[in-house]
Amino acid sequence: MADVSLKGVSKSFRDVAAIRSLDMDIADGEFLVLLGPTGAGKTTTLRLVAGLERADAGSIWIDGRDMTKEPPPARDVTFVFQQYSLYPHMTVYDNIAFPLRSPARRLSEDQVKARVDEVAEMLRIEHKLKNKATALSGGEMQRVAIGRALVRRPAIFLMDEPLSSLDAKLRAELRLELKRIQRELGATILYVTHDQIEAMTMADRIGVLREGALVQIGTPREIYEAPVDAYVAAKLGSPRINLLPRTAFPNVPGPPEAVTIGARTENILFDGAGAASAEGAVDWIEHLGDQNHLHLSVGAHKMVMLAEPDTELAVGDRVHLHLQAPLFFDGDGRRIGA
Amino acid sequence: MARPPRDAHAFPIESIVTDNSILQKGADAVARATPDGVARRVRGLSDRAVAWIFIAPTIILLLAINIFPLIWTIQLSLTNYRANRPNAEVRDVGFRNYERILGNEDIWFSMQTTASFVVLTIAIQTILGFTLAYLIDRKFRGHAFWTTIILIPMMLSPAVVGNFWRFLYQPQIGLFNYVVSFFTGAEPSSFTMLGDVDLAMWAIVIVDTWMWTPYTMLICLAGLRSIPDYIYEAAEVDRASAWRRFWSITLPMALPFVMLAVLFRGIENFKMFDMVNLLTGGGPGSITEVASITLKRQAFEAWRTGYSSAFAIILFVTVFGLGSIYVKALNRVKQR
Ligand SMILES: Nc1ncnc2c1ncn2[C@@H]1O[C@H](COP(=O)(O)OP(=O)(O)OP(=O)(O)O)[C@@H](O)[C@H]1O
Ligand SMILES: [Mg+2]
Repeated sequence: MADVSLKGVSKSFRDVAAIRSLDMDIADGEFLVLLGPTGAGKTTTLRLVAGLERADAGSIWIDGRDMTKEPPPARDVTFVFQQYSLYPHMTVYDNIAFPLRSPARRLSEDQVKARVDEVAEMLRIEHKLKNKATALSGGEMQRVAIGRALVRRPAIFLMDEPLSSLDAKLRAELRLELKRIQRELGATILYVTHDQIEAMTMADRIGVLREGALVQIGTPREIYEAPVDAYVAAKLGSPRINLLPRTAFPNVPGPPEAVTIGARTENILFDGAGAASAEGAVDWIEHLGDQNHLHLSVGAHKMVMLAEPDTELAVGDRVHLHLQAPLFFDGDGRRIGA
Repeated sequence: MARPPRDAHAFPIESIVTDNSILQKGADAVARATPDGVARRVRGLSDRAVAWIFIAPTIILLLAINIFPLIWTIQLSLTNYRANRPNAEVRDVGFRNYERILGNEDIWFSMQTTASFVVLTIAIQTILGFTLAYLIDRKFRGHAFWTTIILIPMMLSPAVVGNFWRFLYQPQIGLFNYVVSFFTGAEPSSFTMLGDVDLAMWAIVIVDTWMWTPYTMLICLAGLRSIPDYIYEAAEVDRASAWRRFWSITLPMALPFVMLAVLFRGIENFKMFDMVNLLTGGGPGSITEVASITLKRQAFEAWRTGYSSAFAIILFVTVFGLGSIYVKALNRVKQR
């Protein structure tokens, strides 16, 4: 296991700047999740760490050694590729065993089998080991790709949306498995996801990327409660944080330079004690089973809040809203006080 | 007259398009607009019949130029027919022709010659072609230019190639002997490639290799290009050495293509005629007399039409049998 450090790393593809002067430190044994919209440069960051792309500028350090110019094998990483990248002419077993069979490792075939079986069982693909890698569903392929990464004990695990094709149940199980493995091995993991539950539950720290630059990095709670700007605030939270003009809530106290007010859905209460922050009308209600999403109109603005599953509110009802711990953003979208 | 709606349903396109309500309406409209006479004529045909009508021209052509001659050849092979004596009595001789061919040492010799020619050319051309493809696939500067240059021999006519290699092989004025003598120091006129019992076969192999290696290279190149870069990236991350990447990824993934090249060259060279005929005509003696040369001599010099028909059938069955076995193996490799 090892720590990773990116120092002023830049990478362009012809005229597209994929990564702009990125500084990032990942501690030994840390689980770092990268979040960001599509095209933000998440995959490129992982590929730079793996050595599959050469940095145009800056340096990449792994375990205290400058690896900027080293080829992938020297860096001792494993990579779960976004597009799986299985070896199509091999069986699932051979795919997973491939990293173990390098002549330098000198594992006996029994040892290889033991490792492969263990990983396959964990990923629930033990019954598919004899299949050809192409004769699998998308979710199975993805698990084989994870298996190929987990079968080895590298310095760093790189995972590019490894659970994206799995169903919710399996995803929840594997989330726990990955976290358990990481704890047991003390593994350093750099993990890309779009799934905010994965980000919140697995990450030691979350790094938010936008247009090739690191916008904010911190623990999940920090990112959630103290986002640097409206963009990061909108990245976490489902339903999304309500971002409304300051003028929609004239009687909520706040700093004078605030232009936008941000209210997370769970921080909006209705019909509580004290003076109401605003009044809204229920437009429609989404019944999710364990909770309800209320869609409201506040003046000319729309917002979403949570309600109990057994709420008696109906479409057209008027409610008094109270904002708790609202976030204030200035004209550039930066959070005031950040 | 009321038309059963079956017609519109029988329209096969509806199985492809899921939202067929529009098609359905369109088909109904067409059916209604069709004059009764036409409709009745077409309605009498099932889908199968229509399908048969469409493929009939192809089938008829196939029968006329492939199957019919084959059957006629089989028929001739059972007789003593001679094409230069059309009025002589034609007798049915049963399998006598086949017996005589299989018992004839000269025939066996020409089969052996063919076999060694096929094996030699395939081995050399596959290894050479794959190596060239592997080098070209590196995408160095100017690789497109070199690919084009390498492909030129393949684009020439075998007749042209045969003739100008005859010149190149001329012991007195030919370039080939001078090049060889330049590298080995041997006297240029001390050997004749086409006239020497030991060298004639090699002379043909060299020309065939010169001409057709580009072809195997092209197919191998297609195989190499079919391997996506990300497979190599995964292997690199998995710390496979360049050697291991070649043996466990490049070669197995390109193998179906390589085998295809072998198949094409094998069939082609099994019936090799034009180049051998132009270069040596089967000589010196009958050292380079491959099966198709023997066949031509029997059919159009000795005019033993029935006998040579039987030989043709034997050759056909041989190629067909070997080809089928090989294609089975190829499919197994592809499915691996
Ligand atoms: N090989 C390449 N050639 C050219 N441009 C590239 C290449 N790889 C990435 N890019 C560009 O770099 C930028 C970052 O791409 P990257 O794949 O890192 O995004 P991402 O954050 O992984 O997105 P996603 O969530 O869709 O996977 C994009 O604008 C992309 O078009
Ligand atoms: Mg990506």
